[in-house]
Parts: sequence; C-alpha cells; structure tokens
Amino acid sequence: MSHPSPIPLSGFGLGLRVPHYAEFIETQQPVDFVEAISENFMVEGGRPLDVLTRVRERYPVALHGVSMNIGSADGVDAGYLRRLRGLADRIEPIWVSDHLSWTGIDGFNSHDLLPLPYTRQALDIVASNVHAAQDVLGRPLLLENPSTYLHFADGMGEAAFIGELCARTGCYLLLDVNNVYVSATNHGLDPDDWLRWLPLDRVRQIHLAGHSQGRDMLVDTHDAPVPDPVWALYARFVERLGDVAVMIERDDHIPPLRELLDELVRARAITTDVRRAA
Amino acid sequence: MNLGDWQKAFAAALAKGETPTAVDVRGMAVHVNNYRSQLVACLRDTYAKTVLWLGDDAFDAHAARYVERHPPSSWTLDAYGEAFVTWLEDAYPADIEVGELAWLDWHLRQAFSGPDAEAMPVRDLAADDWDRVEIEFVPTLRFRTTQSNAVAIWRALADALPPPPVAIVEGGVGARVWRHGLSPQFASMTSDEATCLDLALAGASFGEICTFLMSFHPEDQVARIAGGCLGAWTAEGMVRSLRR
Repeated sequence: MSHPSPIPLSGFGLGLRVPHYAEFIETQQPVDFVEAISENFMVEGGRPLDVLTRVRERYPVALHGVSMNIGSADGVDAGYLRRLRGLADRIEPIWVSDHLSWTGIDGFNSHDLLPLPYTRQALDIVASNVHAAQDVLGRPLLLENPSTYLHFADGMGEAAFIGELCARTGCYLLLDVNNVYVSATNHGLDPDDWLRWLPLDRVRQIHLAGHSQGRDMLVDTHDAPVPDPVWALYARFVERLGDVAVMIERDDHIPPLRELLDELVRARAITTDVRRAA
Repeated sequence: MNLGDWQKAFAAALAKGETPTAVDVRGMAVHVNNYRSQLVACLRDTYAKTVLWLGDDAFDAHAARYVERHPPSSWTLDAYGEAFVTWLEDAYPADIEVGELAWLDWHLRQAFSGPDAEAMPVRDLAADDWDRVEIEFVPTLRFRTTQSNAVAIWRALADALPPPPVAIVEGGVGARVWRHGLSPQFASMTSDEATCLDLALAGASFGEICTFLMSFHPEDQVARIAGGCLGAWTAEGMVRSLRR
C-alpha cells in the first residue's frame, strides 16, 4: 500500500524535553518545529498528553520513536503501532520516525537500539516490518541511521541497505549526522564516504548531536554540544540536501533552552552560508 | 544463522552481560552498559523518594541485582520496575517503611500518566436513597494498608525537609494514591477510612458500608464516619460519580 509523502519542511527545530516544557508552552520560541519522543506521550492521559497538545497548538510536531523495533525478526508489535497511530491522529505530526535497529525479540525488550547485520535476509524482514508499520500508521516512516559499535562481516553496507529499503517501502530517511560520524569513526572509515552513498534525496530530517569518547570507541550519548567535526560534516553535505528539517538533539545533561537555541542559530548560519555560496 | 536465531542469542547474552559468539567484545560492552545503565536510571527516576531514603549505594546495589533478575518485556519503560516494590519488601522485612515508600513512588508515577477522568463536584454529592448509592472512583485510585508513617516520610522527602523517624502504627492504617486533574495526589488514611474505601471499591453500597461499620462502632456514629469519608473523597477529586 502506498501512502502520501510527507510534505518537506525546511526549517530548524529542537527536541521537546521536560526542563523546557513551560518555555515552549508559555512563550513562542524561535523554532520551526518541535520533535517529541513518541513513547513519552503514548500514555493513557495526564500531564504528558496535556503538554504535547498545548505544544502542538504553537508548533508543528514531529514524532520520533525509540521502541518500534522495526528490525526484529518477530515483527512489529501491533499494540504498539495502534497506540502510536492513536497519538498521531491526535497530534497530526509532520511525520513519524524511528530507528533502523531492533530493540527486542521473543518477549525481551532491551530499550537499547541494537545493531542489524545488513544482510539480504535482514532487508526482507525490515522491509516487511516497515510495510506493516506504514499500513497501520497510514503514512510513510522516516528511519534514522543508527550509531553502530559492531562490525558484521556479512552484508551490503548501511548506505546500500537504506537505499534499497527506501526504494522497496517508500520510507524516508532521518539523517543523523552525528551517528554517521560515530559509526564511521568506530569502524575506521571516512565519514564523508559513509554519508556520500546514503540516499540523500530521501532525507526529510537532520539530527545534529554530540557524542562522547568511550573506552574503546565513540558513543552516541547526546549529552554534549554538537562537536566541530559533526558541524563540519554537516556543512560539507547540507548543500546536497533538499528541503530538510534540521534539529539539535540533546537527551542528557540538558542545558538551558537558550544554549540549544544558540546551537540552532549556528545551524541556521552554516546552512545559509553554504547555500549562499553554492 | 538466521536473523531471528541470531537476535535471540544476542538478546540472551545482553541480558546476562555476556558477549555472543563472533561479536566484538568492545562494541558489545557499549550495548551492555547502555542496557544496564538505562534500566537502573529508570528505577532511580521512578523510585526517586526511595532513593533518597535508602541512599544511592544501597539503592543502586538493589537496582543492579533487580535488573539482572528482571529483563524488561514491555515497549515502554513506564512499565519497568513494578515488581521492585515486592523486591524491596523482601529485602527489608524489618524496615516496613521501605516497601511502603516504594509503593507510593510506583503508584504516584502510574497515576501521573494514567487514564483521564472528570471528578464529581461536591455540589453533586446528593441522593434520595443513600443506602443504595454506590461510588465510582477515578481510575487512577489505588490504596493499600500500611503499618508505618511512610506517607509522612515521603512528603518530607518531597519537600526536602528532614524526614520524621519511622513510626509503626499498631493495627495498621492506610495510604491512597490518585490523580486530581493533572496532579498526582496521596494521603494517609485511618483504619476506618481504609475499611470504607476497601468496601466501596469492592462495590459495596453506602448502606452496606454503614452496616459493616456498625459491627465495631455505635450506630449513631456510623453515618458520620462514612459520610465524612465520602465528603473528603469528593472534595479531593477521588470520586467520579455516584450510582444512585
């Protein structure tokens, strides 16, 4: 079943995080959209839904999930999808996204974004799951390229996998520039090469975030400002993207909203400069 | 190996903190750390006042062991940690307040995002035949009998005040948790109120509640006790409607 494409949004936004709820609700912030973590609002009632409803009155909202489990050989949980559909019907998001990963199987849910071997068999399973999810949600998904810490000998590579997945299912890409940097660095590869082969025409949203140095590799912690190498990678590729919604993603050590808005100013400036020079 | 078998083996290893065959131990360590630290953080967030009462080291030690024994199954982290109340009750049999604090933490968190319901206004507290009236409560209401002053301890911890010393109440009292509008609420109960609430939630009519109270109170005091409870529950937003 085909679904209407999401209308591209060219703008700059931030994630909706608890310390900033009041500022987003009480004052119009200089953002073009807000991204909400779907599962935080897939609840029966109370303050979370009240907050998101009021945020939606002021801003376009993107729903971004972490538990769809789109890569599981068990398939996607129908109850989860129905609840997400209910939230989407209520909020009318600009789009719904999740991660190209799996979170659990056989009754176990890790709540971590686990890596997929990019094999033909995995592609068949993920494509089937994406079709099922899109049919329940009534809209195409955006899938985010993950940060990866494991290398699989078998497989076709992330860019080819995502390209074929988009072609087979009609899904789109949420391009996390930090994840490209983290994955490429962890696997000893060139981030520019990694990014170059992704299907950039399918990108509808960009995540810019920070990471940290773990004992052996970079870890996608979202607990720090966007570092210079990620800004530089973004600047080298933004001119190749069409209309995209760009956001700063911070999930830990959340600073005052002002600091994130300042980072967003930098994203706007880089984008403007690159496009002006092109 | 097909994907499903590989994922099952990976998941089993992750839950045990092990590394599956042919997987890079350095990368696996990142996932094991993510898995464990997120679940412990979830428990610390849900049981925030219990953390304050027990202290970080004791709480984290229990949380780590709980994570090892209780792999999560739901897609939502809100569901993780329900059995931690029982875990702490078993771990601290002589410190009754610990399990009772954890019970308050858990049910206040559940009430926070539980189903919405309009509370009945006090002006609607009227009936022609009180004997037949049944009480419908808001769906977030939960209660339990308690033996300690955990409610007072929880409240002090929430207000960043020195908590009172533990006190055990002979014969037991009760605690109730619910949400009024958007705000989770909690209160302690006398044994009479706990009895009335227990009966009302079981579907007893107001008349049946009064009849039961007569078995240990003088008849002329029964309507005042039961009526006082119903009036307080209504004023505090616990009552959804009266079935007349």
